[in-house]
Amino acid sequence: MMRFTKFLKIEVEVVVARNALIPDNKSSKEYLENAAVAFLQEEFAKANGFKENDVIRITSRGKSVNLKVKISDAAPKKGILIPNGIYASYLTNFDGFKRFNADIELVDEEITRPEDILEELKG
Amino acid sequence: MSFAFKLVNRERKLEECTPLFEEEKYVRQKNKLIEYLKPLEEATETGLIVKEELCVGCSNCVVVCPVHVEKDPYGCGSGLAPKTDKLILKVENGVVHVVDMDMCRRYGKDRVLCVVCRENCPTDAISFLEG
Amino acid sequence: MVDYYTCTGCSCLCDDIEVELDGENVKIVKTACRRGSNIFLEYKENRAEPIIDGKKVEFEEAIKKGQELMENSENFAIYGMDTIPVEAQKIAIEIAESKEAYIDNSSTYCLGDLVEMVLKNELPTATFEDVKDYAYVIFYWGVDPHNSLPRHMSRYTYYPRGKKRQRGYEEDRYLVVADVRKSHTAMLVAKNARFIQVDDDLKLVDAFIKVIDKQMPEKYADDAVRVIREMQKADFNVIMGGLGLRYGLKGNYEKFKEMMNKMNEVAKVYFIPAGCHANMRGFNETLFEKTGFINKYSFKDKESSLDYAFFELLKNDKVDTALVIGSDPVNSLPFEVSKKLAKINTIVVDPRNSFTAKIAKVVIPSAISGVEQGGTMIRSDGVRVKVNGLFEREINDVYVLERLKEVIA
Repeated sequence: MMRFTKFLKIEVEVVVARNALIPDNKSSKEYLENAAVAFLQEEFAKANGFKENDVIRITSRGKSVNLKVKISDAAPKKGILIPNGIYASYLTNFDGFKRFNADIELVDEEITRPEDILEELKG
Repeated sequence: MSFAFKLVNRERKLEECTPLFEEEKYVRQKNKLIEYLKPLEEATETGLIVKEELCVGCSNCVVVCPVHVEKDPYGCGSGLAPKTDKLILKVENGVVHVVDMDMCRRYGKDRVLCVVCRENCPTDAISFLEG
Repeated sequence: MVDYYTCTGCSCLCDDIEVELDGENVKIVKTACRRGSNIFLEYKENRAEPIIDGKKVEFEEAIKKGQELMENSENFAIYGMDTIPVEAQKIAIEIAESKEAYIDNSSTYCLGDLVEMVLKNELPTATFEDVKDYAYVIFYWGVDPHNSLPRHMSRYTYYPRGKKRQRGYEEDRYLVVADVRKSHTAMLVAKNARFIQVDDDLKLVDAFIKVIDKQMPEKYADDAVRVIREMQKADFNVIMGGLGLRYGLKGNYEKFKEMMNKMNEVAKVYFIPAGCHANMRGFNETLFEKTGFINKYSFKDKESSLDYAFFELLKNDKVDTALVIGSDPVNSLPFEVSKKLAKINTIVVDPRNSFTAKIAKVVIPSAISGVEQGGTMIRSDGVRVKVNGLFEREINDVYVLERLKEVIA
């Protein structure tokens, strides 16, 4: 079945908030599973053609990360929620530290790993 | 209807309905019922199910439980570590576990439809079978 | 007699944690939340190792390299200290003073401004014990304790019974949650509670001020009226403000103070910052005692200014060497800032192989607070909590900092 959303990029508000399921061990598989996520409300996801476990690319201020979609009631009604951590820090800046606008689109790629960001950081 | 209700409350077992198991013509219904009742096996006596992967160990359920407040007012009832092991729920290794469901108000002759623990769990880590 | 330990997972600093050991392994952790339990259960995981330029070395070599970099540094900064005990924070401050260096912690972009107002008595405050015993309106503003401070509501505020709050949350408490979205904490709002969906925190502040002055605010009129009415039913109410409030105020702290003053004309309302890191406030108070400032301080210029905030110093290439201890700025600071840490001489002192440790020049492994080192930590309401280590290790933050200090006159 053709997924038309593959070609659509939409602008959303991103809210950054703490998530209690993220473990302190940042080298663990559990960290990747719980930190590399973007939470969406079910209705908003459906309306824009996203479903649980889709990978979306979030682009803000010229930088992008790929995160896995998770449906959650705690997400904003229109927009996405990403947990505090290296992914949020990669995209954000102090003006709009916890709330900023970004483009999101469905991608057929892997989620971004922390190592990818660290490699770029080291330059 | 009475038997069905007692099945869900675990006061009766499906096997007690002998025609269901002895007569060929009810095979389909029997299999369907066994499938429907499977979740009951995982639930406790009062139909409480804990999904550990959703629990963050906030202890809301432990502190709000009216039985806990009565039995351990200066421990759980005051938001602190329990001062007794005789409790319904406890948080261990970061998630909630069932200790002794017999003490729960939802169970027994004078049972009450108490849903306080579920109501104060925002991640639905605790749920009841009856919905 | 039960031995209780203190969890250092967040600023709740729960000191009623029971731990069962199996030799040197932690088998059972009772009462602590998911994050706290994991700190004990998995204390051996992902540990830092002594590293220089990406290569594993002996501990002494890493110490000597750290000393060398510090000694030769002309523009030195110390950052972090949010998870280390006050006793270690004091030594870090002494090092910064001797080196005429910059010193800062996460509070500069976290709750520092709110803590400062409390420390300077510009906002009336209370302890969590008082809140548990007396508070009626429990107002979480811009914070989602269910995720950032999991036991906060069940241990200190909404759920536990207290001296004058014996009938439980449904009758003796009124919960208010103000947030940009319906967070997990907001989902707990049922009867005798209110969720305020805030798009503009300043407008909510203004609503409270206007409503008390019997004027009509632009927005949130119903919310403000209801909350004030509830506050007037009791003689003790508390607002706990988090990062959402801090950023929502956009620096207009005078307006917030005006609101608190107005509220206290008609009811009794206290304010407690709802912090996140275990000992962030510990650093604020320790530096405040010494310098009169809580963060972003320069010992050379003897003043505190945004120019001396760690992220500003990095952004403007003002430091050549940074000592990052008990914190992971690569995890929390914007990328454009944290990437500078890979370019300068970064010395990381941490028990774990954090993201910052992975890009640092030198890594010196240390001890986990509450597990392998004890000391004093300050809860977000200002109460000093004693932390004991499960095992005491010789190599801990105090030891490492004393060793590094050796080369400073």
